[in-house]
Amino acid sequence: MKVIIDFFSRGTFWDVLGIFFQYAVFLYGTSLLIAYGILAILSLASIRRYMKKNANVDYNIIIESPLAPGISVIAPAFNEGVTIISNVRSLLTFNYPKYEVILINDGSTDDTLEKLVNEFELVQVDFAYREKLLSKPVKRIFKSTNPAYDKLVVIDKVNGKSKADASNAGINVASYDYFLCTDVDCILDKDTLIKLIKPFMDEETSTVREINGDVQIQEDYKRVIATGATLRMVNSCEVDDGLILRVRPPRRILPRFQEMEYIRAFVLGKMGWDRINSVPNVSGGLGMFDKDIAIKAGGYDSLSLAEDMDLITRMGAFMTDNNKKYSVKYVPITLCWTEGPTTLKVFGRQRARWGRGLAQLMSTHRKILFNPRYGRMGLIVFPYHFFYELLAPIIEFLGILFYIYLIITRQINWPYAIILIVFVYTYSVMITTIALLWDQITFKYYKTWGETIGLCLMAFIEPFLYHPLIWFFALKGYFNFIIGKKHVWGNMQRQGFNAPKKRSTVKAG
Amino acid sequence: MWNDLANLLFLAYEQFSLLPLFIEIALVLIFVAVMATLIAYGSILFRRYNSSVYQRRLAHLSPIIEDLITEQVLLNENLGKDIPVEEIEFDQHALSNKAFRKPAVRQIIIDTLIRYRKNFRGEVGELLRKLYIDMNLVEDSFSKLRTFKWETKIKALVELTNMDIPISDSMLLPLTNSQNPSLRAASRNAYIQLSKNEPFKFFDIATEPILPWDQMEMFKIITTTKDITIPNFSRWVSYSNNKSIVSFCLRLIAHYDQRTAIPSVIDLLQTKDHQFRAQAINCLGQLSAEIAEEKLVTIYTSQPLNCQIEILKAIGKISSGKHLEFLKNEFLYSSSFDIQMNAARAIIRHNSQQSRYIITDILENTNEENQTIVKHCQNPLIKYQ
Repeated sequence: MKVIIDFFSRGTFWDVLGIFFQYAVFLYGTSLLIAYGILAILSLASIRRYMKKNANVDYNIIIESPLAPGISVIAPAFNEGVTIISNVRSLLTFNYPKYEVILINDGSTDDTLEKLVNEFELVQVDFAYREKLLSKPVKRIFKSTNPAYDKLVVIDKVNGKSKADASNAGINVASYDYFLCTDVDCILDKDTLIKLIKPFMDEETSTVREINGDVQIQEDYKRVIATGATLRMVNSCEVDDGLILRVRPPRRILPRFQEMEYIRAFVLGKMGWDRINSVPNVSGGLGMFDKDIAIKAGGYDSLSLAEDMDLITRMGAFMTDNNKKYSVKYVPITLCWTEGPTTLKVFGRQRARWGRGLAQLMSTHRKILFNPRYGRMGLIVFPYHFFYELLAPIIEFLGILFYIYLIITRQINWPYAIILIVFVYTYSVMITTIALLWDQITFKYYKTWGETIGLCLMAFIEPFLYHPLIWFFALKGYFNFIIGKKHVWGNMQRQGFNAPKKRSTVKAG
Repeated sequence: MWNDLANLLFLAYEQFSLLPLFIEIALVLIFVAVMATLIAYGSILFRRYNSSVYQRRLAHLSPIIEDLITEQVLLNENLGKDIPVEEIEFDQHALSNKAFRKPAVRQIIIDTLIRYRKNFRGEVGELLRKLYIDMNLVEDSFSKLRTFKWETKIKALVELTNMDIPISDSMLLPLTNSQNPSLRAASRNAYIQLSKNEPFKFFDIATEPILPWDQMEMFKIITTTKDITIPNFSRWVSYSNNKSIVSFCLRLIAHYDQRTAIPSVIDLLQTKDHQFRAQAINCLGQLSAEIAEEKLVTIYTSQPLNCQIEILKAIGKISSGKHLEFLKNEFLYSSSFDIQMNAARAIIRHNSQQSRYIITDILENTNEENQTIVKHCQNPLIKYQ
């Protein structure tokens, strides 16, 4: 102790602060890299378990089974007139015996609704709508007179300026116990419902333990409240009529980086969290939820900019507050293909929204952080996201400023500095390459080895090109959050899927 | 030369040991990261190479195996001549192909035979089974069953079940209570398919639950397997301590319309588990158990919401007409939207003169919200709501 006091008492305040900062950053960085290393190991265990468990499963049995639970597919749409018909047709062709597709026309100003009415022979019905979750008013509900489209329900509502608001309206209409939330422009695998419902059915049903004789009953089982799967970029894939014919990594550099990032986040990140039952969120592009718990937790928050993580957080908090065990499951296979932003402007807007959403989420649910009452969520998920997701761009920013200061004042030890930079660089390349290897273990999506290695090589340039962008836009999002700047939903020009270019506008953050 | 190398390494170590600790750690981790990256690249390439070699081998072997099956089984000249399948002999020369001795090739043959057997029944199916036995592939499957790896055991069970090869109870029954859910499910499915006399014997000893997915698989097997002896499932409803077995039996009772089980199901209404009770009520509804209707109405007020909804559905399915007034009151005076919806559906489902009168009355004399609920339930387009 004396040594430390002597050490600190010798230097000026700025010297002491500088040394403290250096050690703190080193410890922070090392712990972050250790965390990634642990996630990599956990994700491999999780993937191997999934693969072994499902190797001999005959998924087709559910297609004919009267015991299959019903699923409501909820897809909000805003000004999707150009592609809406093919998108809905795609949603109507899932391999599943018992489901409905609820399409929410969220106050589109184009011809989305008109096209739907004409194409699917829709008529307005007297629908007993009950608002279990808050949303902007529902104007009309349509059903098809054509039995071929009897699974389709179309809601026409006042624009709520968020996907969350539209999704809540969809949940209010949903008639089944589980609902799948997706974006109408995403391309989903035909077996999505089967693959995502299975984790719900792999858990024991209610095991009830009696306490105090015959009055009080305690549920004693782990209820699966949500499931998710990996997402990938559709940008350079071959698509025909809502079907992916050939998977390819995106050719353009920005979506290509995103593909790599998604694989790392889903296959390595989410699967690692799955192993210790700490999945932090289920992507807004594709997630299946237990409707009962989602409603009891209050549904989507239309004011949240990270509505997907917010919902999972509230569902988890609800379960904990009611002393119920729960889990969120992830499957390592890709079931959803989404179009990634190709321009820096749209990409930046999206990432700034994500950054702002994270800050908003941490602020809204701050009572969970370090709260042992919330178990893993309070002691693992939230601290991880607080330190390694929320604070990372800030610490990185301060670190770079400090580096510049050291360079200017000629205090830098160049050999050591270079060794540390090489350390971080090689480690980040390793983590990304491992994530891509795990992805290969799961399924060989890319036809040629050239495509696979080509994507792997992106890891070498990511720290110089892509990472600074993520970092910058996250800081921009935080700044907007702090100054309370009003969020504006922008338009994203869809590129189309290897088909004649079509123009449509959808919400993008 | 070795001395020079040793000296160099020693010097390097000396230099290394003079560095600060965090730089030493960083250097070690750089080495680890570089090696791990190289190994990962190697693994990716190796896996792709392996996969392409396998595909090529498969492409080469598949026609040979298909030819073998076609010649020996599908085009076997003894088929259709009233010769018992057991007495049909294969061309031993064709079976003794050297390539067929390799384990990987034998696995491909097993997989192909299973695929064929799923498409062929009767004499051809039996002959495929005989080929599996005569090529001693059955021993390959049994050796897999004896391994410690649960996933290999499952593979063996799937193979033996598809080939209809009996497995002794002493080997199979313990697996039906395995702690591993996947192995447990596979062995239970195998037991039902392979045990001709008492396919449900493991119900008596099952201590581990049947998970919902497994129930679905088992349901399919039970309802599609030929010559299976269907017992009266009420015996497990009455005596089993395993709730998932009772729950599954309730579904089977409803499916097989085992009306003799109604008293046992009514007894289940005493259970303290409300989800379980809801399932029993649902079963009574599917059995149209008019005998239980009075009891259901009597217990209605003391039930939680999910059981009340099931009671309303059951009364609708039974449609005796004795409790239409009860349904009407529930519809008019309940504050729960779900109760109103289900009461309205139950009234409409009766489809009698009295029920139609009630519906007309509601449509003419109640508020707009009630009318919308009734119209919603009456609308044939709204199939799922």
